[in-house]
Amino acid sequence: MAKGFVLDPTTARADDITSPGPDAGPLAGKTIGIRVDQMWRAWDWISEIWADEFRKLGVADVKFWRSCGRSGEEGEKMDKELKAFLASIDIAVVGLANCGSCTGWTVHDSLAAAAAGLPTVAVATANFEEFAKTIAKRGGRSGLRVHVLPYPLNERFREDVDPVAYEHFPRLMATMGAAMETSKKAAA
Amino acid sequence: MSIVTIAPSHTKVQAPPKQLVSRDCGPDGCEIDWLASPRREADLDIANFTAFAMEQGWGDGLPLVPPTETRVRTFLSLNHRYPDEVIAHLPPMRAECTVEKIVINAVMAGAPPESLPLLIAAVEAVADPDFELYGMNATTASVAPAMFINGPIRHRLGIPFKHGCFGGAASSAAAIGRALRLIMRNVAGQVVGVTSQSTFGSPARISSLCVGEWEERSPWAPLAERRAGIKGDAVTTFGGMGTMNILDTTSQKPAEFLEMIGKSAAYAGTNGFSPAVPFCEVFVAINPICAEIIGKEMPDIEDVQAVLWRNASLPADWLEHLHRGQLEDQGRIRADGRVYLTPEPKDVVVMVCGGTGGLHAAVVHSFGTSLTQTRAIV
Repeated sequence: MAKGFVLDPTTARADDITSPGPDAGPLAGKTIGIRVDQMWRAWDWISEIWADEFRKLGVADVKFWRSCGRSGEEGEKMDKELKAFLASIDIAVVGLANCGSCTGWTVHDSLAAAAAGLPTVAVATANFEEFAKTIAKRGGRSGLRVHVLPYPLNERFREDVDPVAYEHFPRLMATMGAAMETSKKAAA
Repeated sequence: MSIVTIAPSHTKVQAPPKQLVSRDCGPDGCEIDWLASPRREADLDIANFTAFAMEQGWGDGLPLVPPTETRVRTFLSLNHRYPDEVIAHLPPMRAECTVEKIVINAVMAGAPPESLPLLIAAVEAVADPDFELYGMNATTASVAPAMFINGPIRHRLGIPFKHGCFGGAASSAAAIGRALRLIMRNVAGQVVGVTSQSTFGSPARISSLCVGEWEERSPWAPLAERRAGIKGDAVTTFGGMGTMNILDTTSQKPAEFLEMIGKSAAYAGTNGFSPAVPFCEVFVAINPICAEIIGKEMPDIEDVQAVLWRNASLPADWLEHLHRGQLEDQGRIRADGRVYLTPEPKDVVVMVCGGTGGLHAAVVHSFGTSLTQTRAIV
């Protein structure tokens, strides 16, 4: 059969921000924002422990924002809340990427935080790490920082999840580019 | 949290107008090359091209028609649409979905040129932020956008609405549905295992569900007219999780048929009962025999929706305790001790279609917060 030319059916976006964005730096006096959802109780437990750990480092405040329905009037309300939330914090910790759509929305909200100029970390479980990075790249920011928690996570009991939160906190700090020693001194 | 009712958003995001070149000469007679897609050299034998396309990640595994310039230009010329017109930005890629890209994928799918207005309307519908394609194209769920068609275009395109309308009827519907799926893959960037985490997938992720309403046998106004006031050609897109068949060999009265359908639609593991999802819709297909019986007693479709809704509920104390606990914490257990599949009766989407053998209804559960969209086909 003769060869010929066909038209490429795909599209691609050329823009990509490969930078991870600004480091969190010293945490003392800053406001940390943690984005939670209504899906993962394990993420609620971990974010509560991380909030306490942040407070021990002398942060000014830890704020939470819960993502719910993202369509219709409810979605409009969420968009407004997200904008207000991002405007009220200095650093964003966004999770949890632990399923398909929730990874999509975790990355979506992380990209919004990063676009607002905030030091931003998306939090994913191991099974969804590559997916989160792929979605971030296709969203135009392959440099997005992603902190990875073990998987499966939400199926574990609280006594098994709490140690994961403590174990991962120093690693989260490293992913954020937080100045741990400076933060500790400031807290002292 | 409490019961979250469904209302459409007020802000609508539309693709920005974009004009690449002057349109003075028109798309048919212009000497400017309107087709902007890169040309790729390929073997044009269908089997060889399909293998080539699969290597490129363009295909779904079924044979593909090579989208040669001749085929693409012919398809376009029969529609008088400008190929550079941006219809939408589809997530997760958010790159431009132009008429040209829709046509190339439609050619590959084997869809007829006459289906372009339907495909454009469907792309516009799924791109509405309320449709929540961002989550749908990424999810672990099995969801795929379904297309429910109203108007004379059902006859012109041969969209099935009688026997086997959800699959199996020989028609152009599978190719048209497949075109929308290829657009999701090649334009939106939804690729299984890469950007789509669907645990099981669904046959509808190959060819969609492309079904007409048997308007001539329906005792109620057509779906698009009821939803959006559109009389004539229209498409309603619905995030469908798969088809559920409901057999009823015992009911006689309208309320009995609807009770059987409603109760069957209410199962604990559907998205509408998940604490992770604040609201859902549900689609119910009623066959023309039952529709006639029901319509005589219930000429108002809202009465039908109300009976279906009331029955599509579960007693909270029947649910597994963690499940029940989370719903309770969210304030979703009502005063009657029940949890309802959808927030309100209006969220039950009813359409008449199917064969004259009766006996069966079909239910399609929706995906999370995806809100059904209806668009005129122009």
